Amino acid sequence: MNLSRGNWAAIALTVAGAVLLSALNWSGRNFSAAAVGSMLVIGLTLGSIYAVSAFGLVVVYTTTGVFNFAQGALGMYWAFLYWELRFNRGWPAPIATIAVVLVIAPIGGVVLDRLIMRRMQSTPLVLQLMSTVGLMLGIMGLAATQWRVDRGRNSQPFFGRTGGFEIFSVNVTWHRLTTICVAIALALFLRLFLHSTRSGVAMRAVVDDRSLTSLTGVNPARISGLAWALGSSLAAIAGILIAPESGMVVELLTLVVIDAFAAAAVGRLASLPLTFLGAMILGVGQQFIRSFLDFPDGFSNADRALPTILLFVVVLALPQARVRAMGAIAATSSRTRQAMRLSDAALGGMALIVTVTAWSGGLIPFVGSWTGTGINRGVTMMITAIIMLSLVPLTGWAGQVNFAPLAFAGFGAVMFLKLAGDTGQAWGLVAAALLTAPIGVLIALPAVRLKGLYLALATMAFARGFELLFFTQPGVINPDSGERIAALHFMGWQLDGRSRGFLIFLTVVFAIGVIGLIALEHSRFGRRWMAINDSEAAAAMAGINLNETKVVVFAFSAAIAGFGGALFSIQQGTLNPSQFSLLLGLPIVLLVVVGGVAYPAAALFGGVSTIAFIVIKDRLGWTWLSALEILGPGAMAVALVARPRGAVFDIGRSLSPLLPWRDVPRQPRRSGRVIDQTYEIGDLGLTTPFTEEAMIDLDRQLDIADIIRPAVAPDAAAGDS
Amino acid sequence: MALLEASSITVKFGGITALDDVAISVDAGEVTGLIGPNGAGKTTFFNVLTGMQDIAAGTVVLDGSDITALNVHQRARRGVARTFQRLETFGHLNALENVLVAAEMRQRWDRTGSGPASEARRCLDRVGLLAIADRQVANLPTGTARLVELARALAIRPRLLLLDEPSSGLSEVETHALSELLRGLAGEGLAVLLVEHDMSFVMGLCSQINVFTFGKNLAVGTPSEIRANPAVQASYLGSGHGEAQ
Repeated sequence: MNLSRGNWAAIALTVAGAVLLSALNWSGRNFSAAAVGSMLVIGLTLGSIYAVSAFGLVVVYTTTGVFNFAQGALGMYWAFLYWELRFNRGWPAPIATIAVVLVIAPIGGVVLDRLIMRRMQSTPLVLQLMSTVGLMLGIMGLAATQWRVDRGRNSQPFFGRTGGFEIFSVNVTWHRLTTICVAIALALFLRLFLHSTRSGVAMRAVVDDRSLTSLTGVNPARISGLAWALGSSLAAIAGILIAPESGMVVELLTLVVIDAFAAAAVGRLASLPLTFLGAMILGVGQQFIRSFLDFPDGFSNADRALPTILLFVVVLALPQARVRAMGAIAATSSRTRQAMRLSDAALGGMALIVTVTAWSGGLIPFVGSWTGTGINRGVTMMITAIIMLSLVPLTGWAGQVNFAPLAFAGFGAVMFLKLAGDTGQAWGLVAAALLTAPIGVLIALPAVRLKGLYLALATMAFARGFELLFFTQPGVINPDSGERIAALHFMGWQLDGRSRGFLIFLTVVFAIGVIGLIALEHSRFGRRWMAINDSEAAAAMAGINLNETKVVVFAFSAAIAGFGGALFSIQQGTLNPSQFSLLLGLPIVLLVVVGGVAYPAAALFGGVSTIAFIVIKDRLGWTWLSALEILGPGAMAVALVARPRGAVFDIGRSLSPLLPWRDVPRQPRRSGRVIDQTYEIGDLGLTTPFTEEAMIDLDRQLDIADIIRPAVAPDAAAGDS
Repeated sequence: MALLEASSITVKFGGITALDDVAISVDAGEVTGLIGPNGAGKTTFFNVLTGMQDIAAGTVVLDGSDITALNVHQRARRGVARTFQRLETFGHLNALENVLVAAEMRQRWDRTGSGPASEARRCLDRVGLLAIADRQVANLPTGTARLVELARALAIRPRLLLLDEPSSGLSEVETHALSELLRGLAGEGLAVLLVEHDMSFVMGLCSQINVFTFGKNLAVGTPSEIRANPAVQASYLGSGHGEAQ
């Protein structure tokens, strides 16, 4: 790889920064050969595990173009399965290993590929990312359901915990030696496999041009299945090797392997040797921090935050992506837009306010009034919905993925606490929103110049970094200080965070937010944001500055989330760093996307779903629902591959004919479905199979009346009025 | 001096030289053609002119000022507009909104004119699509969407209009109307450069035609000179009637 001068400068700066930080935080612990040796052994072991996991990411990404956020969760799940077979059922280690790594994991990978991943390859990036993040949460939920946390589990290392040999007075356990050897062997194996075998070369070719590869007689479907099988096996190896070192905890195991993202990013998601290097830097660096550095209070997570920091540095060092024309299929394969009218939004907002007011006051017969818990859940629902609104312009219109809305919300909450926490003055809400906007700029600035995937990774790294390094600062959130946030002081009212008045206030705020967004959607800002999503090339040719536009929409989105966070702080009364973790933020992102993130109404859908999972779990109390709050959003996000337009689109289309003032009923659907894809005639048979459905779509594009092909599809004739 | 002077443009994709020291000049008030077999580098050349492609060597000069270092949107502001070989439309927006996005940018730069909404309607009317202003573009047939692209390009009030196969997807009648429209635009002082495979369209419309082959300049001249050029006949025209569309 050629490194530009900028790259070298970035590397030099990073190294200098690392040296400086190390010098400033030197613990003074004995820097002996034994201490360094033992640091290296543990660090290289850890690095090896990162490497194996990152290899899985790279293999799947280069072959299928899908970045698998669920890689970590897969590794965790296979590690639990291995534990089940090896220690719970007492299978011998070799048999359990072979069963998981060589049989079950590859089959699982192929099944995932067949059922989910293959449908995703032509979907927009937003949906791809959401589906794999959904898969990650779904697998976590599944594991937490199957292996409940009510009992402790321990996975033992291979060859026992104590054995091993001494080298330079450092004890190397057999398990650690195995780990390092496995990583090196896998690196060599993958290199050989991808460059010297027919299947491997085909795998590398597929991502360049799917259609051309199929012309050479290689079946791309088989190749993507192979990649997923391999990726899943690699996840299993990483998971089984790390489990004895990290402990059998669902979140911990998943996040450990998430750290491998940074290693894969060092290799630009393509180069195996650089990925290996990145993994080793990570592992040794983390162990170096643990062994020799002492950070002040609030920075005690520095070792765990290292991957996040590395990921951010790598993203900064990547070169600007060129504006590229993507062609007709990518530009128009997305959903049909049903813009809501401003009058409908206003009416819906009023209906929502009336409903919430009446219901919470017990004015609706038979359903009863809300108790304290009910009011509080309503408040949570509305605040969640307001935070979700922040993703409508950003992700729904501009197509920029953001996994950090809860970090923004947390920042807003902290700002409210600092500015108006003691008095509860309402201007504090606005101030918190305005102060959060620059944080949005901070995260967007380095990443908007890159491909969408890197932006998504950067937001994830940012959320994790904030969780580990910012919210933990005693000066930021100090749960022991007894600081309490006062009730909201608004136009003479005192609205306690768990009162009915606050709930109604939130509902009004949400309704105003929805109406405002609908108005914005029809403004030049909304148009510009949707334009960069549909075609960056055309938007740039129309004179739009892509980077500036993305930064603006990020700032706007962050402000909305910060506003929601300030409201959250009023509900909670006290803040706690754990309220704003990356993992808690993911269901928020997923549920609003499931709702159909281009529509503000999706935020309400998301808020209702969030509460619905809690209520269902609470009411039914069945043990297999114990992880529903992550299993549910995860499963729903995976289902996005089947319903990419989102729930509110389908709900809206079914319900809108019922509205009495809609004198024109819904558009007749000409063959029972909208055109999903635009075909170029020349593509048929190459990239797109020559099916009857494709022909019908093509006819429709060419405006050939369905009448002349009545025999093709019966429903085509029936649906056409 | 021509409005656009691109000289010694060289583009490399890894080890392959996609464009090798090519040059082209386009005059204001004329329609200039760019033809060549598939893989000749025509679309790559458009990418160079618009700032979407890094170059290994060469300069692009627009109206006397060097724009080689400018990025895409800066060139748009200077008056470089383009349409794409494969559609690049704002599929979620309707036809009028597609054009409005561009008109609003021109309004933002110049703060002159009659307001972006009426400007956008004028551009849409120019390509004959005012009747379908509120149709979502993702659902339009390819040929029609291509005209939306053209209207969007006009809405930034360009000085140089780059059209990548504008007639593909259009019927014979529509192609004729497009010819008339482009002639009219050139008459107003616009420089039009178009890549086309429809030979009768190019030959009837262009005053100058450039021929590329394998990333190199092969010939340049009037339609009759190009038709008579033995090198062009051998490499391109002679191989049947152009290429399949």
